[in-house]
Amino acid sequence: MSRFMIHKGQLTAFSYFRPQMFSTNLLVTKKSIRPEYPSPVRHGFVPEKWCTVFYPKTGVTGPYIFATGLSAYLLSKEIYVIDHDFYNGVSLIILFIVLHKKYGADFAKFLDKHIDAYENNLESSKKDKIKEFQELIEHEKKEQWRTEGQKMIIDIKKDNINLQLEAAYRARLSSVYEAVKGRLDYQVQLQKIERKLAQKYMVQWIVENVKKAFTPEQEKIVLSRSISDLQKLVSEI
Amino acid sequence: MGFGDYPKEYNPSVHGRYDPSVYYGPKDTAFGDVKLSDLGSWLSRRKYSPPAITAAISRAWWRWQMKYVQPKRTGMAPLYHLLIGAMTFSYAINYKRIKNHRHRKYH
Repeated sequence: MSRFMIHKGQLTAFSYFRPQMFSTNLLVTKKSIRPEYPSPVRHGFVPEKWCTVFYPKTGVTGPYIFATGLSAYLLSKEIYVIDHDFYNGVSLIILFIVLHKKYGADFAKFLDKHIDAYENNLESSKKDKIKEFQELIEHEKKEQWRTEGQKMIIDIKKDNINLQLEAAYRARLSSVYEAVKGRLDYQVQLQKIERKLAQKYMVQWIVENVKKAFTPEQEKIVLSRSISDLQKLVSEI
Repeated sequence: MGFGDYPKEYNPSVHGRYDPSVYYGPKDTAFGDVKLSDLGSWLSRRKYSPPAITAAISRAWWRWQMKYVQPKRTGMAPLYHLLIGAMTFSYAINYKRIKNHRHRKYH
């Protein structure tokens, strides 16, 4: 019973759903509200609203007067018959009241503990999930940041390859240069040798022809002349 | 509107999440605010087709559930309600028999 007394002050359950909530404020409607405490009741089962509805006309005793009047009417007209089952009912009600008073609060505490544990479990699993997803998002962002780095690495690799291409180009250029130069050098050598040979044979031919042209007298004259020249040279020394 | 469908008046984009205890049709004066002189016209504006009556009972059932059964820290009230309902029902169906146990002939 004490539970219901505690809950009486809570008006949250009353404001649970009002049709106007659905038309005026869309934001509220998006959330379905499950009240934490039930609608307040009197004596364990009579809705509070059924009692307060009498207040404007009759004051606080209204509901009790009404209940008394109604039961008096039902009993006096024997619409409710006091038969043998009635006494069973009375003993059962007493039993219920005693059980409610004696164990109600403890039982409620026990159930509340369990429902809190259950809800905490759900809440913590939800929080864990949210944390997990946040970590995933962080990870994803980091990966994206790393991919940015990959772009830089790709640029560097491109530069590298460009450098390699340049080096290969230059190497080929130089090899072409070497090859052409070799061929040209060969031509130069060839021409030099040809000219040398031509000169050599020309000199031989001229000398031969000149020797052929000499007569023996001329030879003598030249010989004697050369001998006298030599003598002159010797005497000069 | 077939079995298991939402009411025709329910529009998710306007009303949001579906609440089985709410009547989504056009609003009329609440029953508690009706003057006795207007009661006849008020009753004539109600729908009495079987689906409408079923829907009304379903809404009432859900309204009771949301008040007493579904709250997180609910009490014994819903069980007592059901018990009292069952008692009243069984009294009503046995009334013919119980009537014979009356103590007085005239009241």
